[in-house]
Amino acid sequence: MSTAIQAILLGVLVMLSNAEWFLGTCFIQRPLILGPLTGLIMGDMEAGIIMGATMELAFAGATSIGGYDPPDMISGTILGVAFAINSGQGPEMALTLGIPIATIMLAISNSIGYPILQIFAHICDRNIEEGKDKAFQRNFILSGFVAWGVTTPLLLPLAFYFGTDKVTSIMGSIPEFVSTGMDIAGGLLPAMGFAMLAQMIMKKDVVPFFFIGYFVVAYSGISTTGVALLAVLILAVMFTMNKGRALSSEPVVKVETKGDGLDEF
Amino acid sequence: MSSKIHADYNGIITKKDLRKVFWRSIPMEHAWNYERMMHSGYCFAMLPVLKKLYPKKEDYIDALKRHMELYNVTPYISTLPLGISVAMEEKRAEDPGNFDTDSISNVKTAFMGPLSGIGDAIYWGTIRIIAMSIGVSLAIKGSILGPILFWLTFNIPNFGIRYIMTFLGYKFGAEVTTKLEASGMMEKVMRAASILGLTVAGALTAEMVYLSIPIQIGMGEETTTIQEILDGIVPGLLPLALFGIVYVIFKKKKCSPIVMMFILMALGIAGAYFGFLG
Repeated sequence: MSTAIQAILLGVLVMLSNAEWFLGTCFIQRPLILGPLTGLIMGDMEAGIIMGATMELAFAGATSIGGYDPPDMISGTILGVAFAINSGQGPEMALTLGIPIATIMLAISNSIGYPILQIFAHICDRNIEEGKDKAFQRNFILSGFVAWGVTTPLLLPLAFYFGTDKVTSIMGSIPEFVSTGMDIAGGLLPAMGFAMLAQMIMKKDVVPFFFIGYFVVAYSGISTTGVALLAVLILAVMFTMNKGRALSSEPVVKVETKGDGLDEF
Repeated sequence: MSSKIHADYNGIITKKDLRKVFWRSIPMEHAWNYERMMHSGYCFAMLPVLKKLYPKKEDYIDALKRHMELYNVTPYISTLPLGISVAMEEKRAEDPGNFDTDSISNVKTAFMGPLSGIGDAIYWGTIRIIAMSIGVSLAIKGSILGPILFWLTFNIPNFGIRYIMTFLGYKFGAEVTTKLEASGMMEKVMRAASILGLTVAGALTAEMVYLSIPIQIGMGEETTTIQEILDGIVPGLLPLALFGIVYVIFKKKKCSPIVMMFILMALGIAGAYFGFLG
């Protein structure tokens, strides 16, 4: 197979692995799966399986728990395995070549992918506002594929065809503050999501509980499960204390409405 | 409370509708973003049910908007809160006058944190590790069985439990709301749910909103950062202030969400360029 056809097929493979989230976060983008597929394209499936296993172990900690991004395993695995097979080297070579590419690719695809998703989210809002549910569904499906489809599926075949050195130097010229800035924005944007959620669920008489939840985590860093448990216990205390007082027709759970420093609400 | 609901009432939501929710829950993370996370995936999964429940267009749009709010949970068990939401929406559509609509969001939110904690531990922490050790041990010898068994070991629980959870969630939601209505406890429990939901929302805000000011002040050994001083006063002040500002701006409708989104992204990049945020 010529290098050009291989490059195109690798691009198709990236596109396919970007469907990971569309197909139920089903792990098709794990190195253990992508390794053999890359091997197949490169003409040595067995080497692909073994390298995939090695890279799977290297990326073992890479999971997207609670919104933190793993390094871009997709391009790391595919390029690493492809170059290693091409140069007749072992799994260690796949790792050495794969990890730096993974880091750079991640910075680029995140700097472009997340803003695209962000914009689509607001287009979806508008679709719903106007009652266009078909447009909403179409944009929802489109958004994920566009966001992750415009970067790596195009860059990876180029990187494969022209060699890593050239591509890394071009990619390296993108100023670092752009990707750092997107990382920082990743911490700021949830404030907006929670503010919108709070418009819906923050009622005057229960406001202090938001701050209980907030400061318990800010001070101690315990998990939200722990905070939920604490809230259940507070409710239990409120329930029993009210029961002891009087079994009136008033709501059992009665909350102090006045708190200091909450005037803005 | 409602005369329409009696013991042998089967609901308007059928098994087929719930199966649709299951299928549509699969792309849950497809449009995951930092602002509202799985919001559009959740809404996408709820859509056919809402369309069936609310023939009137305004009601339908309101319901869709309800499920476009921030949501995040381990995707493999997302059908549990979805099932509960379906049951609650069904009850609401039956009896809109007596049903506290906000409780739908409250219950969803209350489940968000704890369920993710359990789900992440089971799927990422346990099933993935088991699947990986089976897969890697075979694949390292070059056997194609490695990748295949890895994929199956992870995905049979993934899709199996996801499917079962849809029905469990719905059954749980329907039974609990019916019982509460019959015993007259609905109001109290919904109030408790609003407290629980808001506490969890506060906890999640502290966990997920992040900003710090790494600017250094002082000289020599006295050097400290603004962030360290702030942490010394009360930890988490800055993210809370940011949340408060955005909340007030939205409350007063001073700024549309899309403008706010660009402001925050620009702030992030400017912060990185000038080094006042980290």
